[in-house]
Amino acid sequence: MQGNDIVDLLLAQTQSNWRRKGYLDKIFNANEIFLVSSAENPDVMVWLLWSMKEAAYKIHNRKTGIREYAPKKLVCSILSKADLTLGMVNIDKAIYFTKSSINSAYLHTISSPVQHQLDKIKISIYEFPNHLSNYRNTKPACVSHHGKYLALTY
Amino acid sequence: MTKEAIIAALKTIIKPYSEETIVLETLSENTDFIKDLKINSANLVDIVLDVEEKFGIEIDNDSMAKMLTVQATIDVIQSKLGNNAGE
Repeated sequence: MQGNDIVDLLLAQTQSNWRRKGYLDKIFNANEIFLVSSAENPDVMVWLLWSMKEAAYKIHNRKTGIREYAPKKLVCSILSKADLTLGMVNIDKAIYFTKSSINSAYLHTISSPVQHQLDKIKISIYEFPNHLSNYRNTKPACVSHHGKYLALTY
Repeated sequence: MTKEAIIAALKTIIKPYSEETIVLETLSENTDFIKDLKINSANLVDIVLDVEEKFGIEIDNDSMAKMLTVQATIDVIQSKLGNNAGE
């Protein structure tokens, strides 16, 4: 099983005001809020943690059949930051590993319950208007869509 | 507070976060925020915060976890207001 989540950073800027009073308290635990407040670029840190949670939730939801809006139950840790950010998300007793790539336009995270499987995930990212119109036929394992971007993983 | 009054208030709250105008106009208990209204998951927080402000209630994490449909949201609001009348 695998998950993926893409964030169009330009759209996120106008679509969500995470600085709104009470916002971060609803979605992040104390350590995650610390990561945001101490980050060089707090906007990117918010969407990095959010996409890690989303990518992990997509697997967890399919595995357990539980559908809920409980972002604080998904606890993020960042393991290493280089070109790619490696992380881990704990929910209940499950662990999901994540790998995120960040550029100025978008942030993309893939997730897997098995760390070494992350390297085997194939990623295709399309930018509007050059979307792959019949992408369902390519049988992606996970689809994520936000703003201008469509991300497929296989 | 009646179900109808809550639905009317929810329509106003949800409007800025959904482009599905027809679904929004015909909002019912069965409407799903993500599947039907295509609301971005990061904007569901805004809806929760707006509901808290509008109804003067505090929504805990367990209640928020259920808030994926209009029905679940009505249930949360009515139970927090301590008022199940108006059926």
